[in-house]
Amino acid sequence: MARVMLGGTLKSLAGNTPVLEVDAKTIREVLDRVGEVYPSLLPILDRVAVAVDGQIYRNQWFAAVKPDSEVFILPPMAGG
Amino acid sequence: MPLEGDIAQRKTTFKQIGTRPIRPDGVDKVTGRARFGADASAPGMLIGKVLRSPHAHARIRKINTAKAEALAGVKAVVTRDDFKDRNDALRDVLVNCMARDKALYDGHAVAAVAATTAAIADKALKLIVVDYEVLPHVTDVDEAMKPGAPILDKTMFTNNVEPKPTKPSNVASRCEFALGDIKAGFAKADVVVERSFKTEATHQGYIEPHACLANLGPDGQGEIWVCTQGHYMIRNTCADLLGLDISKLRVTASEIGGGFGGKTTVFIEPVALALSRKSGRPVKMVMTRNEVFRATGPTSSTSMRIKVGTTRDGRITAAEADLRYQGGAFPGSPVELGAMTAFACYDLENVKAVGYDVITNRPKQAAYRAPGAPMAAFAVESVIDELAKKIRMDPVDFRLKNAAKQGTKSAYGPTFGPIGLIQTLEAIKAHPNYRAPLGPNQGRGLASGFWFNFAGQTCTTLNVNLDGTVALAVGTPDIGGSRASMCLMAAEELGIGYEQVRTIVADTSSLGYNDVTDGSRVTFASGLATIMAAREVIKKMCARAAKTWGISADAVTWEDGQAKPAGSNAGNFKPMSFKEIAAASHSTGGPLAGHHEINADGAGVSFATHLCDVEVDPETGYTRVLRYTIAQDAGKAIHPSYVEGQFQGGAAQGIGWALNEEYIYGKDGRLQNAGFLDYRIPVASDCPMIDTIIVEVANPKHPYGVRGVGETSIVPPMGAIANAVSAAIGVRMLELPMSPPRIVHALDSRLKKAAD
Amino acid sequence: MQFEAPETVGAAVKLLAKASGTTRMLAGGTDVLVQLRSGTVEPKLIVDLKRIAELGKIAPEKGGFRVGATVPAAAIGENVKVRKMWPGVVEAANLIGSTQIQGRATLAGNLCNGSPAADSVPALIAASAVALIAGPKGRRKVPVEKIIVGPGKTSLKKGEIVTGIVLPARPARTGDAYLRFIPRSEMDIAVVGVGVCLTLDAKGVCTAARVSLGAVAPTPLLVKAAADALIGTKVDAAALAKMAKAASAACNPIDDKRGTKEFRVKVAGVLARRAAEKALKRARGN
Repeated sequence: MARVMLGGTLKSLAGNTPVLEVDAKTIREVLDRVGEVYPSLLPILDRVAVAVDGQIYRNQWFAAVKPDSEVFILPPMAGG
Repeated sequence: MPLEGDIAQRKTTFKQIGTRPIRPDGVDKVTGRARFGADASAPGMLIGKVLRSPHAHARIRKINTAKAEALAGVKAVVTRDDFKDRNDALRDVLVNCMARDKALYDGHAVAAVAATTAAIADKALKLIVVDYEVLPHVTDVDEAMKPGAPILDKTMFTNNVEPKPTKPSNVASRCEFALGDIKAGFAKADVVVERSFKTEATHQGYIEPHACLANLGPDGQGEIWVCTQGHYMIRNTCADLLGLDISKLRVTASEIGGGFGGKTTVFIEPVALALSRKSGRPVKMVMTRNEVFRATGPTSSTSMRIKVGTTRDGRITAAEADLRYQGGAFPGSPVELGAMTAFACYDLENVKAVGYDVITNRPKQAAYRAPGAPMAAFAVESVIDELAKKIRMDPVDFRLKNAAKQGTKSAYGPTFGPIGLIQTLEAIKAHPNYRAPLGPNQGRGLASGFWFNFAGQTCTTLNVNLDGTVALAVGTPDIGGSRASMCLMAAEELGIGYEQVRTIVADTSSLGYNDVTDGSRVTFASGLATIMAAREVIKKMCARAAKTWGISADAVTWEDGQAKPAGSNAGNFKPMSFKEIAAASHSTGGPLAGHHEINADGAGVSFATHLCDVEVDPETGYTRVLRYTIAQDAGKAIHPSYVEGQFQGGAAQGIGWALNEEYIYGKDGRLQNAGFLDYRIPVASDCPMIDTIIVEVANPKHPYGVRGVGETSIVPPMGAIANAVSAAIGVRMLELPMSPPRIVHALDSRLKKAAD
Repeated sequence: MQFEAPETVGAAVKLLAKASGTTRMLAGGTDVLVQLRSGTVEPKLIVDLKRIAELGKIAPEKGGFRVGATVPAAAIGENVKVRKMWPGVVEAANLIGSTQIQGRATLAGNLCNGSPAADSVPALIAASAVALIAGPKGRRKVPVEKIIVGPGKTSLKKGEIVTGIVLPARPARTGDAYLRFIPRSEMDIAVVGVGVCLTLDAKGVCTAARVSLGAVAPTPLLVKAAADALIGTKVDAAALAKMAKAASAACNPIDDKRGTKEFRVKVAGVLARRAAEKALKRARGN
């Protein structure tokens, strides 16, 4: 089960949840599970950044998540 | 993941990468042949101008445009009534382009006209009668958060706070990033420093004002020529705001005179299209510098509290930040990125960063290199410097002892891969600047900084011409020498000369979607797509050679720009050069082209450490930067001159931000210094020769190891310069800019305090 | 808008005298063009002075110089004789704007623009320069310090033109200097400007002095109290301190985007002292 943590605004939106354990093979599956547990996050889950084992992905449904992966869901990010 | 396999084909030795050829756009730029935003014209063209609110906050009761419309030569007038109201993610973007019920800041667009000449357009603006009900305003972030502050949006209640607020507020939302237990961490500290800081808003200061030429016909087909960091963004946003099909709007990016993040959104473009649609004529709009300052997107101004504790032997036990960023009249300040990056340079067990996104009567902030990070870094690095002094530890050693490294759980959550912070610190420590003797009234300061770097949607096509030259089309406007880097990467892969590759920025109808040039992404992402497109061409060329020789495609390899039989078993054929295969292409299967589209990720976080020496005139507060040295991790420098240019540019902008640049609002809420005379960016003689050290810790997610470099360099300068100024005058400077009146005031206050 | 480029002073005066509405004279144009572009003025008549030959020259005048109204700052800087006699005036003229601006900007224009922050004006006042004026009622001479009467306002009457500035012959053992404060290194506008001119006797005692301040009041100031602090002294540290205090006391600045009141008052004293030290060094060498 991958360990999923929420960062920043998302954490507060989800009611300051601790770690969530999900069974998922891809980022899309992680986001689906998280959306089921925290419907309050649904409006922004298609815009979030997701860090899998330290690597940050944006809009990357199919990036692989391993059973022992550490996943962070982070707020939408952009640079200049 | 398509990338993983290809990344295995990593290159570590290069023939052309790392050389410094002349940039392909250089001659056009120095001879004036390059065409920028304002350089386009069209038959029958009108000139568009915007009427802007003189009030910081006012209800717009009525707009009467009748007299303006009646003026001979005026062909169209648009107001809020010409844009459909909406309630989605683009609402704020639209309201920022054209005010609706209220003018929210000095300079907010209220109406626009298109006329046959600029003089008529100016005259028409004066004939528009706007009935304002002036409202109380607020421009300071701390004032805006106070109970009783004028409320900008009565429907806004602070998000993410418990219990749910019952009163509207200018605080749009709160965010928090935390690890460990800061209370326990501070309990373990021998020394704790807690300080409050403020920074004023700065502008990117790009030399080219926003400009465009829009043409939208009655059939709904349109074109825009525009100076922007992202023409696909212009296309998609404008099509949405004007109710057009995306395919019907073709956008061409002009040459660009600076962006730095400020040209990643729309301002005049939807207005120009609306005027064109209404008048049936092409409409050109060029902002004045006054408009650029008042009505584009400066940075947030901020108010921050930082608290850090350390043991006597230099291990940080806890760190805490409260960050309050105002982002103008709409939510969306980069405070969350500030909270994420504030302590990213440090390996911390106990850390907490809280951010508040605040709205005020100022223009809607836009990105500016590493948005949100520089202000927090200024505050944090000031406190780190003070702690190092308190425990009598060398500031580099203190940072080294606490530096983030591979395997560090970052303060914003994820664990770092290979990173180069320690290398930048060691490089600075070894540099002669670190030991140069200092005279009276001189001080030395250093600071580190972090930025994420992003990659994103990218689409690139590489076409081979019959003469063996290559036309490379990318969809990312070149704001920092990226065409030179693209040419180098294509030439390196194909084994041809740099001069044989010509890179263009294609229009939106010629290539698939590309994200804006932002997030330090282009050399990484368009470079990656270019390498992949080149490899596709090589594969096709090998197949053409195989067919020519009558052998299997597997039996052909590519070496030094030539297709060769893989070994003696494959047969004995004279290798075919890139040029020969290109020349024969018409008869071997038609044109040769490579293409790559990708949503790239992994632009590779990057760190920098800046060191600077200053001299402060204690009687006038005038600060001169004497020496400046930068070490930054670039992963791999494709064209070192442009990597160094990015480093130096960040430092130069940082010198301005640290010493003189600021948005000055009067009591009336109007911007007092909307011009380059009183908004002081550094001139050349304000900057010393900025020395650079390129650290190269390869990014595993790029075939050459490239990391983004464009933004990190704006993160450390304010901290480094503040530490140097504070050392020179013996007073800790807590506000930016450290303008001469602020320095003199700080010195006089200290004298006064001593006398009391 | 009417644009005229007469070839004689008389013709220019005639045009201006009979004009109605706002008028502007064009010498270097470095202020007028900015005003036109920003829309702050819409003159009915612009009279270009550059075709008037006599205004384009630097000529000797009673041991000093007559600098014509259209002579650009760069030409003044290149004139070895002027530079040697009035280095403070030249250094002020060569601080206006940028190198490019100095190729156009003129002393007369800098004066007639009426800005309290004009760089060359305190230096001209310190040097006892005189403005040459031509008008419908003939020609007259007026000390430079009497020209600017308020921000953007001059004592010139309708139809009058400043045709040139006279820099007088420099007395023996006299030196002048101009210093200004700006927050960056160049291309800026004075937050405080100070012109000082002083004369010594054979024993090194100051016999005459003029101290002028810019950007610290609605008009450039000639500060008698500051000069008096130097006269009769050997311009030693005590005299300089007294003079700096008098300079600060004379300031009547505003808090604005360019600096606080507190800052301007303090820096006026600092720069007055430094300018006097520089002028003193020059006086000793003359």
